[in-house]
Amino acid sequence: MQETSHSDIRKISSLSRWTIDRREQEPFTYWGASPAQARSCAVAKKKGLYDKRTTMKKAVGRYLRDGINIGIGGFVNTRTPVAIVHEIIRQGALDLTLSFQSNSICAELLAGAMILDPDHLSIRRIELAWCGYEIIGLAPLFRYLTANGLIELDDYTNYGMAARFKAGAMGVPFLPTRDHGGSDMELANRGKMTTCPFSGDNVYLVPACHPDLGIVHVQAADMYGNSRIFGALCTCPEIAQASVNTIVTAEQIIASDAIRKHPNLTEIPYPVVDAVVHQPFGATPGACYGNYWFDMEYIRNFREICEDFRTTGNKNKLRDFYDKHIFDVDFDEFLDQKPYPVLQELCRQDGDQPIIMD
Amino acid sequence: MANYKPFEMIAFTGARMLEDDTMVCVGTGLPIVAAMFAQLTHAPNLNMIFEAGSLAAVLEQGLPLSVGDTRACRKAMYAKGLCGTFELTQRGYADYAFIGGAQIDMYGNINSHFQGGSYYRPAVRFPGSGGAGSMAANCEKTIAIMALEKRRFVERLDFVTSVGYGDGSPGYRQRAGILGSGPYRVITHQALFGFDDKTRRMMLLEVAKGITAEDVMYQVGFDLLVAPDLQEMAEPGEEELLLLREKCDPDGYLLQREVQK
Repeated sequence: MQETSHSDIRKISSLSRWTIDRREQEPFTYWGASPAQARSCAVAKKKGLYDKRTTMKKAVGRYLRDGINIGIGGFVNTRTPVAIVHEIIRQGALDLTLSFQSNSICAELLAGAMILDPDHLSIRRIELAWCGYEIIGLAPLFRYLTANGLIELDDYTNYGMAARFKAGAMGVPFLPTRDHGGSDMELANRGKMTTCPFSGDNVYLVPACHPDLGIVHVQAADMYGNSRIFGALCTCPEIAQASVNTIVTAEQIIASDAIRKHPNLTEIPYPVVDAVVHQPFGATPGACYGNYWFDMEYIRNFREICEDFRTTGNKNKLRDFYDKHIFDVDFDEFLDQKPYPVLQELCRQDGDQPIIMD
Repeated sequence: MANYKPFEMIAFTGARMLEDDTMVCVGTGLPIVAAMFAQLTHAPNLNMIFEAGSLAAVLEQGLPLSVGDTRACRKAMYAKGLCGTFELTQRGYADYAFIGGAQIDMYGNINSHFQGGSYYRPAVRFPGSGGAGSMAANCEKTIAIMALEKRRFVERLDFVTSVGYGDGSPGYRQRAGILGSGPYRVITHQALFGFDDKTRRMMLLEVAKGITAEDVMYQVGFDLLVAPDLQEMAEPGEEELLLLREKCDPDGYLLQREVQK
């Protein structure tokens, strides 16, 4: 690789010399599994068809450990793996790296857990494209953690993160992309500009991302882990296949005969899935196409509590929220807290998006 | 004259920029409203790409409140994921990137990462690139929406997220390894900007009724070029406002907001 390849970004960049040098001089290390580690873990797995259904507690207990990279599926508020995130928060782990595309509620829930008790759960780094609430506003806790220098970031575009998960899923160490170059991401992230060996033009390479644990929520899976996704796939198939281990939560468990009937509908193939958890409403307050829309009121309320903490420094409301919705209950009990008409309305707002279960 | 809100003017103007028979990759919020309005008026064969994975959806369930909203897949003709959609844009099938941001400079570079402080300890961290950096780098033309404020139209960005014409030199985008011709229009509620072909600098093309070029220059933190044939911005009429209010954003999530002072 020619280390001298670069755009003219330095001519317009406001980043300090120190910021640029810090990234440039830092030797590259994977913030999760290396491609070689990811490959040997895949090779070591049993490839037979066996029943991978388990409980949320057991699934998370088996794969969550300190220092791992968690790849979070979904996109902003679509198919957000919130039920798994609640369990991760209950069990706790330190020095986590998070990797995702565009995210709101899952990243904020984990950030809030860190703010409440950094000895129980802590985030060290985030590799991302975007973190916020779209029209509702900025993500207060992400803002808080960055403003106080409490986490390290690695910033890509949404295609950049998608290409990174895709490279991981493909088993290649990097992918060339036609973005990042000429922006400050070229200086600030861990990708590299190089010269195309064929055309001689500059092209930007992004490193493969292999999360240690991929967490993905889908509409349907069979007991072996074959998963169907409807609506936007986001990067869920890539995250599942790139990760060393993957937990899938599913709205519905379907028969393997159905999977065999329409194999083209399988977006995540069984070998890359390690645990299957049946969890209806597993993405709420996010949306799940064909099942329910997102719970705007719940998201707004949580965001307000977080914003209240950010502006006042008072953690009481935040702690009450976590106790009530996460620490004192499991996810089914959390769902029990919601009045039936609320869940019914979320389902109605989905508007009968078509999904195929047979 | 019809009485319209600032964001209604932005959506209306945004729609004017979109030609029929084209593809627009839309960012969240107003770009979606503008594209919906264009479809309902002069551009029935304009189609949208939503980065989370859908192509040519029919937004009959109302305004998607995020680009990942399940409504953005309604009756789509193709629904995959981020790889599927950005491979299309990178391949050359998106005529327009339609994005927003926090700051813009005279060459149409846009910041959506942070303002103040440093990258490692930002005073205010924004969400980040999201799809905007990809769209500006590999859709063909970039349309940006920005509030007309001095703190947003700046001499120098805190962070370059979405690449415009870089430093204005002719080969900037090519040396950056990116695609597309770059910035095309910048839309505010009081002014419409384009870019000068020779210098690639931002140029005032149209001003709202009652606003002068000097008024606009006062809100811009860099030397602004003014088109020799400066035009008045078209205004939405009663019929258009009705469409915007009843069909595009009936809950007023975006259009009924006020511009921050």
